Amino acid sequence: MPIIEAEGLSKTYRVYQKKEGLLGALRGLFRREYKEVRAVDNVSFRIEPGEIVGFLGPNGAGKTTTLKMLSGLIFPTSGSARVLGHVPSERADTFRRRFALVMGQKNQLWWDLPAADSFQLHREIYSLPTDSFTRTLGELTEMFGVESLTRQPVRELSLGERMKMELIASLLHQPQLLLLDEPTIGLDVVAQVTIQKCLHDYNESRGVTILLTSHYMRDVEALCSRVLVITHGKMVYDGPLAGITEQFGRAKLVKLQFEGSDSPEDLGQYGEVTSRLGPVVDLKVDRAKVADVLALILDRYTVVDMSVQDPPLDQVIARVFEEGRAQHEADSQRV
Amino acid sequence: MHQFLRYVRLWTALARFSLVRELAFRTNFLVKIVVEMLWLAILIAFYETIFAKTSMVAGWDRYQYLFFLGFYFALGGLLETLFLENCNNFADLVRTGDLDFYLLKPMDEQFLVSCRTIDWSCAPNVLMGAGVMLAALVFGGWEFDVGRLLLFLITLVCGTGLAYGFLLLLTAASVWFMRNQSLFEMWWLFSTLMRYPREIFSGTWAYPAGLFFSFVIPIMLVTNVPAQVMMRAIEPKLVAYAAAATGVVLWASRRFFKFALERYRSASS
Amino acid sequence: MKPTLSVSDAALALPAPASPFKKYWKILRISLVERLVYRADFIVSTIFRFLPLVTSFLLWQAVFDGSQQQSLSGFDRRRMIAYLLMVQISRMFSSMPGLAGGIARDIRDGNLKKYLLQPIDMIAYLVSYRAAHKMAYIVTSALPYGLLFFLCRDVFDGWPDLLTLLAYAVSLALAFLIGFFFEATIGMIGFWFLEVTSFLYIINTVNFFVSGHMFPLDLLPPFWSHMLQLLPFQYLAYFPAMVFLEMKTGQELVIGLVMELFWAVLFIVLARVLFKFGLRRYSAYGG
Repeated sequence: MPIIEAEGLSKTYRVYQKKEGLLGALRGLFRREYKEVRAVDNVSFRIEPGEIVGFLGPNGAGKTTTLKMLSGLIFPTSGSARVLGHVPSERADTFRRRFALVMGQKNQLWWDLPAADSFQLHREIYSLPTDSFTRTLGELTEMFGVESLTRQPVRELSLGERMKMELIASLLHQPQLLLLDEPTIGLDVVAQVTIQKCLHDYNESRGVTILLTSHYMRDVEALCSRVLVITHGKMVYDGPLAGITEQFGRAKLVKLQFEGSDSPEDLGQYGEVTSRLGPVVDLKVDRAKVADVLALILDRYTVVDMSVQDPPLDQVIARVFEEGRAQHEADSQRV
Repeated sequence: MHQFLRYVRLWTALARFSLVRELAFRTNFLVKIVVEMLWLAILIAFYETIFAKTSMVAGWDRYQYLFFLGFYFALGGLLETLFLENCNNFADLVRTGDLDFYLLKPMDEQFLVSCRTIDWSCAPNVLMGAGVMLAALVFGGWEFDVGRLLLFLITLVCGTGLAYGFLLLLTAASVWFMRNQSLFEMWWLFSTLMRYPREIFSGTWAYPAGLFFSFVIPIMLVTNVPAQVMMRAIEPKLVAYAAAATGVVLWASRRFFKFALERYRSASS
Repeated sequence: MKPTLSVSDAALALPAPASPFKKYWKILRISLVERLVYRADFIVSTIFRFLPLVTSFLLWQAVFDGSQQQSLSGFDRRRMIAYLLMVQISRMFSSMPGLAGGIARDIRDGNLKKYLLQPIDMIAYLVSYRAAHKMAYIVTSALPYGLLFFLCRDVFDGWPDLLTLLAYAVSLALAFLIGFFFEATIGMIGFWFLEVTSFLYIINTVNFFVSGHMFPLDLLPPFWSHMLQLLPFQYLAYFPAMVFLEMKTGQELVIGLVMELFWAVLFIVLARVLFKFGLRRYSAYGG
């Protein structure tokens, strides 16, 4: 039984256009022009228990809006969602007890108090029995490595430490589903890696389903076996991480090392020269043409070393985003 | 019952943490108390100035009026301690979107919003006001009457509930209105209506206004009914009306608050 | 991105109505509601703003009724209301919300650097900023206050003579200066003590009483009335109102204005001196 079922989820907003100048302001008193923004456009997917799924998309793509619809904070304009067997927007108590939502850069812990006190409040709010609470808290603080910091006021902690506390708070009531919105944004690399590892371990040991949004590739690469790519409210991909390059990667990166201390000048005819250092050249070549290009080059020149790679995933994704934006703009012009 | 205890336990924890946090800023705490004492002193100086010139204000003699003053101060202190700061924060919660966190918790949102912190620095006001009330009773030669006392306590609870209901209505309205003022200001202005005995509203246009704010938007009943019950002739119909109004306003304010939450959710992104 | 919460936005959360007629009716109805909400906001806040003043009128009526006297300490019913109205005008000129707090905060947060680095005189800048702000406030308040004064015009005996009006204008200008430089001085204390806001809190609370904002100082027992009139605070509310009502005349008026000038100059000098020394201390400690 899927833990999340989203069917045709959409969310549309009306954004009022402010006209410029006095005349525009006057006209605005009588008739306001508005633009309809499709924050989420007909998104459907299913998530099974125990999965770690990444939501990838540029800023403003609709990832956060989708998460909010799944947690019941926002009503969908159309479509439906079933999460943990509930309709999220009804916000039943039994539903709210079984999941947690954590938003990066937003703090739900008390600012002036030590994190330990916030945890106590959580215990009261979720009615957690003392002994299991203490045990869970101990395990979590140990896992995240913050045992010594829980008695410090939250405002004195670093960003990374604060995020760890937020995650601990979200896991205290042992939710079955963890929704994370940009959890590692603004954090240093060490903190990011620690958090990624903890989430991974937690998922393995407890089977908690994790859905995380990000516009950082690193989070997604580290944790997610499956990725949903969203641009401008539309879902453009749903599948394993590796598949993205397959589907969207149009070029392959060919690294060549030529004999001698220099490389030929005219390699531009075979593809895009992205880098050139003495005898070493990076050449971006259309997937379909790789074999032919290689044959031609090997025929004409003497090559000492060679490798063919997929371009870095974030480049592919960046291009997907870029194309999505261009498409979206073209669509809006037409309308 | 179990649910009720749950809320009591959470409230106790919140009260405890608020106190710890406030005591960490000791000077602020003390200054606030000094300021409130000065304010009470000013109110009493004003009272003395008035009663140096007259022996009756709108039919209230000096001890009845003093009791009213003490009650207003104490009740104001109670509302400020329990609710005012939290209600003031509501507009910020809506603006920043942090209200989402309250919506995610498996607890009643109205409770979480209204009771999140307790402003202990206003708690002494309740004691000071009670002191003034006691002085008024003693110097006014009040005859001890258990019935009156009980009725006073009941109307006190009603008055607090009624005031809370109006505060909640203003708070929920702050989502649409009050872009330019804080809730503190709005409440301060609105509560001027219950600062004086309602009998001062006499005259061609003031009298209907007084009736309006006693029976249609019964803010005046908050202070008038308990003070009247204690110090003057008891009007059973008025007391009953106050109790009924409390129920109605609490119900209406909760509905309106939930409505505001739904609109917030509809416009969230 | 968070669109501003409006009634119309909410409409999109609900399923669209069937016929186009219904759709336009819905849009019209929702737009109307939105306009009214905006106007209601303005109306409600204006009404609320006058509640304390109106209730104080009623209170004093009750006091006069109870005293069974025609006049209290030289104020009859009409003049009492006139006084309470004029005090509002005085306060419009002399109140400086957030000034001392703002200065103290700039000091604490280290924002003073810009005044050290740029050829801006902080005090001059703040004075002109406040003056402009006040003018804007007076213009926007003109309509509701004008309406209130018009409704209460019977309590006034017409306009005072030109000389009195001139003295009144002078007293208001000086009230602005005293109000500004007094708060500025308090703000300057922030160079030496971090917690100025508490002190300010106390002063403003007491000020409400001793400036005559609550009621005319004449109503107090003579000893207290005279004591309080020795303080500068009376010029923030009481004195200008009394000048307009022609209750301070002749020698009293002249002495009052001279003292008002004295206080204004005193606070200007004090603020400047504290600023200079404070700035020196500030840059010595590296901000």
